[in-house]
Amino acid sequence: MVPDALTAIHTGPPATSGKVRSFMCSSSWKYAALAFLVVAMIATGCSKKQTVKSDAGAGAAAPPAGEAAVKEAPVKEAPAQPVMTAKQAEAAQGVAVTEEKASPFADVRFDFDKSDLRDEAKKTCQEVAAYMKKNAGKKLLVEGHCDERGTAEYNMALGDRRATSVKNYLVSLGVPTTAISTVSFGKERPLDPGNTEDAWAKNRRAHFVLK
Amino acid sequence: MRRSIGRGAVAILLALALFPPAAGAVLYIDINAPGGKQLPLAVGNFVVISGGASLSQGIPKMLEKDLELTGLFDLVPRDAHLETVKSAHFAGTNLDFPAWKTVGAEAVVIGKVEGRGDQLTIEMRVYDATQGTLITGKRYSGTPRQVPQIVHKFANEIVFLFTGVHGIFGTEIAFSARDGRGKEIYLVGMDGQDLRKVTSNRSYNLFPRWSPDGRWLSFTSFRTGLPVIYLRNPETGVEKEVVRAGDTKAPGGFSPDGDWLYYSVSTGGNSDIRRVRVAGGAAENIEGGWGLEVSPAVSPDGKRLAFVSDRGGSPHVYVKDLGSDGERRVSPAGVYATSPSWSPAGNRIAYTARAGGRFVIYTVAPDGSDLRLVAALPDGDCEDPSFSPDGRQLVYTVRKRGYSVLKIISLDGRRERTLVSGLGDVGSPAWSPMR
Repeated sequence: MVPDALTAIHTGPPATSGKVRSFMCSSSWKYAALAFLVVAMIATGCSKKQTVKSDAGAGAAAPPAGEAAVKEAPVKEAPAQPVMTAKQAEAAQGVAVTEEKASPFADVRFDFDKSDLRDEAKKTCQEVAAYMKKNAGKKLLVEGHCDERGTAEYNMALGDRRATSVKNYLVSLGVPTTAISTVSFGKERPLDPGNTEDAWAKNRRAHFVLK
Repeated sequence: MRRSIGRGAVAILLALALFPPAAGAVLYIDINAPGGKQLPLAVGNFVVISGGASLSQGIPKMLEKDLELTGLFDLVPRDAHLETVKSAHFAGTNLDFPAWKTVGAEAVVIGKVEGRGDQLTIEMRVYDATQGTLITGKRYSGTPRQVPQIVHKFANEIVFLFTGVHGIFGTEIAFSARDGRGKEIYLVGMDGQDLRKVTSNRSYNLFPRWSPDGRWLSFTSFRTGLPVIYLRNPETGVEKEVVRAGDTKAPGGFSPDGDWLYYSVSTGGNSDIRRVRVAGGAAENIEGGWGLEVSPAVSPDGKRLAFVSDRGGSPHVYVKDLGSDGERRVSPAGVYATSPSWSPAGNRIAYTARAGGRFVIYTVAPDGSDLRLVAALPDGDCEDPSFSPDGRQLVYTVRKRGYSVLKIISLDGRRERTLVSGLGDVGSPAWSPMR
């Protein structure tokens, strides 16, 4: 963490009881020395961190005369891998994964928290397999999707299992494994944005995209 | 949307009044006392020597807003104050303590602002009104833009002074939310201020997780078309790729030293848990098998790993000893349980459970004992809990028909507030470490 105490000084004669004031007079240097030490320790403990810039430059409030001021030394972190700024990285993008691509095949639907193929799902897969075998050279992307209920990470993994379950069945029907790729979008791209049982049923699906 | 205020690059000149901490022991709030008593506290007007007259009431308002959020203070309304704070009170003249006692204050906060060019110096003091003594005083220096940060820092001082527990003002929550058709990572202050976007690539950016030093966010982005885990410093924009191999993947959490990232990754439709050095190198397998294993979370002492597996037929939260490989299920049998989050002390795990068709939030001891319901709604779902760095609150998602919000709730379920509303499909909130 960035140490927030750059300079340890006392605030000058406090407007308070004589008891506290006398304490200040007798011990302030001892405490100033202690604070200096603590700040110095914090600063040196930061040697792995990035450059720390100070907004409190020369124009900052000067400590009262006779006070010890501690300046924080800028320290650098060597990046472990080549890095680019987020802006550069994002400018390099442009892939629209958020768009539903039209499919000549119906979606395959699943039960809640399940990835096994129901009978009508198998029928759809058989049509897809027949097409793929007739059109060697075509590539197929199987997308796995989930409904909005449940944790996003778990749904992302579940979508992957659904897409793989479809892929494995297609392979068992004779489609070359190299012709099929899979991706999961979890619950991020619902077909029906509603929140009814009907919408959820439509969203628990595998979607086919021909490439 | 407000601009980032450059949190990481800020250095605040800070002056410690050199008083022994014991001076503050007279007034003390026991935060663990049931139905805890609130400390009556008054925040006086701030004396503005130069630098903007509006700060005279503006800073006290900000400070009161912070202190209010803790639920620990009974703030004396400002129109009841009998004394106007003057610059003489910073130069030897005592406050009229009996007048502050009359309006019910046991502690009084006063402050003074001086501006020079683009620099403000703000001095703040806390007095014990009964004893008539200065308990603490600090002087901060920064730009006018940094005033909210300075106020948060002093609010943290006040909380620590009276409770012995570090305040969490200035901490942030990272989360994902719908933006157009995609999802982006956002940040918001724990007070609901300073909402801003971290990513902006119109794909899916998901599962933000903080590094232990609070400088880096790990997340999954689909911006190349396929999921990749990145590490990004939200202040500088510096970013690097951490995991590309495998299909679906999501960061879970870091080791306490920040050296390792634990994550879930699918290969052949089966999700397992691995870890990789943030600095680079080969991934190591941590937890596998035929089930879906996701959401790894390392305990604060680094010795245990909480994760989700559906190896028992439906997803459950398990805790594994990283040394011995021994593990146990901590969520009760029969329900769907996901998204574990450790308390900073390592003595509780919050998670999402599906009960009666609704999602609710429980906490449980890491050995599976002492299960407690924290958040539930009859007509909505409560999900994705993440502990505050002081361990006293949870941030979580509430979803009701057609809308979603982020909420914060105290662990006893008594105090609750909305953190973010008006964004679509908010999720995966992650509370930053202490600032």
